[in-house]
Amino acid sequence: MPAGATPPASPRVSSPSPRKRLRIGERTVPYLLILPALVSILVLLGWPTLQLLGISLRKLDLRELVSGQMVWVGFDNYTTTLTDPQFWEITVRTLVFTTAIVVATLLVSLFLALLMRHLGPVIRIILQVTLVLAWATPVIATTTVFQWMFDQQYGILNKTLDRLGFHGFIGYSWFSSGTSTLTVIGLLILWQAVPFVTFTLYAGLLGAPKEHYEAAGIDGANPWQAFWAVSWPAIRPIMTMVTFLSVLWDFKVFAQVWAIRQGGPDGESTTLPIYLYLKGVAGSHFGTSAAVATLMLLVLILLTARYVQLLVRTKEGDLS
Amino acid sequence: MKPWLKLAAGAAAITLATAGCAGSGGTDPGAAASSAPKGDGTLTVWLMTGSAPTTLTDALNKEFEDAHQGVKVKYEIQQWNGIQQKLTTALSGGDAPDVIEVGNTQTPFFASSSVLSDLSGSVNDLNGAQWLAGLKASGEFEGKTYGVPFYAANREVIYRKDMFEQAGITTPPASRAEWLDAITKLKAKFGSDPDFQALYLPGQYWYSLLSFIWDEGGDIAKADGKSFKATLDSPGAKAGLEFYKQLVEASGTKAPKDNDEANPQQAGIYGGGKAAMFIGTPGEVATAAKTDPSITAKTGAFAIPSKTAGQSAPVFLGGSNLVIPLNSKDQALAKDYLKLLSGAKYQSQLAKAGYVPGTSTDVSGLDADPLSKVMAAASKNGRAVPTSPRWGDVESGQNPLKDMLTAYLTGKKTLDQATSDANAALDKLIGG
Repeated sequence: MPAGATPPASPRVSSPSPRKRLRIGERTVPYLLILPALVSILVLLGWPTLQLLGISLRKLDLRELVSGQMVWVGFDNYTTTLTDPQFWEITVRTLVFTTAIVVATLLVSLFLALLMRHLGPVIRIILQVTLVLAWATPVIATTTVFQWMFDQQYGILNKTLDRLGFHGFIGYSWFSSGTSTLTVIGLLILWQAVPFVTFTLYAGLLGAPKEHYEAAGIDGANPWQAFWAVSWPAIRPIMTMVTFLSVLWDFKVFAQVWAIRQGGPDGESTTLPIYLYLKGVAGSHFGTSAAVATLMLLVLILLTARYVQLLVRTKEGDLS
Repeated sequence: MKPWLKLAAGAAAITLATAGCAGSGGTDPGAAASSAPKGDGTLTVWLMTGSAPTTLTDALNKEFEDAHQGVKVKYEIQQWNGIQQKLTTALSGGDAPDVIEVGNTQTPFFASSSVLSDLSGSVNDLNGAQWLAGLKASGEFEGKTYGVPFYAANREVIYRKDMFEQAGITTPPASRAEWLDAITKLKAKFGSDPDFQALYLPGQYWYSLLSFIWDEGGDIAKADGKSFKATLDSPGAKAGLEFYKQLVEASGTKAPKDNDEANPQQAGIYGGGKAAMFIGTPGEVATAAKTDPSITAKTGAFAIPSKTAGQSAPVFLGGSNLVIPLNSKDQALAKDYLKLLSGAKYQSQLAKAGYVPGTSTDVSGLDADPLSKVMAAASKNGRAVPTSPRWGDVESGQNPLKDMLTAYLTGKKTLDQATSDANAALDKLIGG
């Protein structure tokens, strides 16, 4: 049997080339594995962004939308928006509003997270359940509840203040000025934002080793010093992450602001997302709204550039 | 108000815009306008919720199907919330619905966007001589007709007959002076109840304000050729606003000054039994009856009184038009459908349902119901908001009239300040 002279298994064992092929395979497999994710990101995020940029350079009203005409207007939509004094006023207002909410969210959440660490198990669970419930309530449901609480005639807040002796609040309108309206909206957003940030920070605090606190105690550190020496390093990277997440979320809040007073009175509680809706979608000027959306994207990129920089530079996702 | 719905619809519209620029470049609007039926034998009709009753539409659709062999009517009811965005999406699609009901204040926007079929040649087939004037204007743009009046309703003062009787008011007020006098009498009789309000009048009820402004000979904007100029700072508008404040103060209404008639639903408040009057449409009494079924029998109505004794004030005519989208594939069938609906048979059924019919001057069907009878009489003095293509921005966005009312009623701004600010804001929206 001459054919039997060649053992079938031997080439696989002896030849070095399959091993090389395996190595190429090993090298490409990870790329193949992330390919679906990459493709879906490109299709779901990249393509719409390109479309947005394209639309922002076009005049796209209902007429063009229906007839399918392509009317290129260059940077007209941008010039109109950027020369509108209202746009700048609203941008500044949105930035101040976002900053205030983010700072408030972080402070309140940090306080609650630290509090949770020191509470007994029963109280802690009650607090946690309460937070989860506040978090789980649908946005519009919460907004409606807030609207009723702050109602001029029937609101529980004015009635309570009246009972407490502040009779000036009978029939007080919380929505008669922009500042007051934005404060109510701010409280509403804060109420919905705090639970997530609290739980995230609490998880970070749990990561700080108990022994470190004991060591700090033995060294005679007071609670304030123990916080800075032990807790803070443990939650710092998480703090960075939730700060930037909150900036992203709070900057583009629409539903709550719109539902409370449609950006009124006199447009004084109008933020950029409301401006986008009014300028673009409400009047079917999709080109203009795409330009505003692009500008908002630029503002957000500027705001979060530092975070992206940290993400890119540091390894292992360590953001401290 | 469901803002997320609007948002979702808006997002859908943008998505569609995206799709539109990718694929529909070859659509020729002229081709769709030719009259031969090309569709799949289905006529899609969109009417709004709370519009023509099902008894009417069932009969209408059956008669239409019987007359057109092989054609099926696909009848769909739409919600008012977010309708402008939904229509935008529908109209820009390749196969748009064939007949659509559009609110009269939204019609100029669509008529001016070249998305509707020109019906100028069919006006006579559609009973054109009897069209309701207040609606007719909203369906016209640059001399062409795009909308056929469907129905209208207007506001009146709805009151508790039993309370009026107890307060010694024998005849319903027929002038502003008598109206204020009735408020005084009601307060004298029931004022000891801290929850009682002689008139429920929310601060941002701008449809009522329109009546008072028109009654003073003013208007909110003046047409100047194709463009509009806001006239909220005119003496007539100021006088109307002043009367609104006088009414709010005299009546001691507990309604919020910073919200409108829908938040909270004013009919619900009236149904609570502590309000003697409110300004509303006859249809709202049915809503009140959900709270207290016995209230219908105790309810009467009188026209919004004018400052001139014996007359009624002009009223805002709210209503709908019917249009045929340019992208409809069954233009000829759609016109046949409109012809059937605009005929006397179905118009009289609309009147019986409590609406002022759009294409028939015969309102006898309304006389059977005392509330509708008062409405029909007042509708002869019905008027519309400026027919600016951009009027939709006022209602779907930040309405300067609402801001003006709240600022003036709460004393945050003087009469001159409030009217001139609102005038500038309205000019920015519809002016030029």
